[in-house]
Amino acid sequence: MANIAMQRIRREFKEVVRSDEQSIKLELQEDNVLSLTGYITGPEKTPYEGGRFHVQITIPETYPFNPPIVKFTTKLWHPNISSQTGVICLDILKDQWAAAMTLRIVLLSLQALLSAAEPDDPQDAVVANQYKTKHSLFQQTARFWAQTFAGAPGPLNPDFQKKIDKFLEVAPRADRHTAIQQLSNFDWNIDKAIEDVYKSD
Amino acid sequence: MPETDDKSEDTATFECNICLDTAKNAVISMCGHLFCWPCLYQWLETRPQGQVCPVCKAGISRDKVIPLYGRGGSKTDPREKLPPRPQGHRTEPEADYAGPGGGHRYVFGDNPHFLSFGIGAFPFGFFASSFNLAGGAGNPMEHQHRDAAGPADHQMQDQLVSKLFLWLACIFLLWLLMA
Ligand SMILES: [Zn+2]
Ligand SMILES: [Zn+2]
Repeated sequence: MANIAMQRIRREFKEVVRSDEQSIKLELQEDNVLSLTGYITGPEKTPYEGGRFHVQITIPETYPFNPPIVKFTTKLWHPNISSQTGVICLDILKDQWAAAMTLRIVLLSLQALLSAAEPDDPQDAVVANQYKTKHSLFQQTARFWAQTFAGAPGPLNPDFQKKIDKFLEVAPRADRHTAIQQLSNFDWNIDKAIEDVYKSD
Repeated sequence: MPETDDKSEDTATFECNICLDTAKNAVISMCGHLFCWPCLYQWLETRPQGQVCPVCKAGISRDKVIPLYGRGGSKTDPREKLPPRPQGHRTEPEADYAGPGGGHRYVFGDNPHFLSFGIGAFPFGFFASSFNLAGGAGNPMEHQHRDAAGPADHQMQDQLVSKLFLWLACIFLLWLLMA
């Protein structure tokens, strides 16, 4: 079975290279054909625009009869992606997988997911709630994350910056990632974010 | 496996949609998508419930795919290999089969034992099925075909039905002897 999997990966890899799409990229790892790194660029007119997002792709031995295991290794603020672990909620990576789908289709689908979130089928409930109830704050937060973690261009939100600095003053043991995560989780309410850090200590 | 990078568009048309290689023991679905039979078989085995075409997600089943026989293809019958490729949808010659039930399996697919109860050589038909000798009564190819087809629960159902009929047949014979 692993033979079909490896043969498919080689062909799919070439397909992505040959297609010459600028917005997706696939890299083989030297030591293991069944483990790849994918890259997608954030779609235009979304908070993710201009960012470069990495995904880790693990090919099961039963591929392509079962879907690849894919998760983001770049931190991302999106209702269908865990802001903590990068785990993705996407139907084609679960029960809607079909054996004729390829890694190219997976990467393009992830890009489409960044353009069109499905907050009613969330992976990260906190993000989904913010998306639904404070949409403008959601967009600013997602942009801030894309700039901070995925290299998206543009000046950082100064209000968010100030809150992060203040958070780090009050909780000096926390690092910058934790500060951003905590503040984002609490809709950038610094009192609640700090209170929560001390609660879990 | 030879590298086949520089394939023209023409040969790509005959690539299996699952392994992406030239289709071997090719079958085609009702929606027109081409696969190797072993590839499609494994896909159907992976998804016993809600079987869909791996390309377009139309409904698909092993009884509704058509084998493609090219000229000068494999000399050996692909159905003798495991898993066997399903047969083409041609009418079986009647003389070969016990009774008019022969053509029915495509209509009623899952329950050949039950059919032979109503139509076939009753009651000995049950005995045959109960001891799993159905192949002797009918077309051996069909028997092999069905065995490979069955998701486990169907086979279990079949076995259950067979056992039930075996008992019924025994009672019937006893009753015949006593009368
Ligand atoms: Zn194939
Ligand atoms: Zn199809």
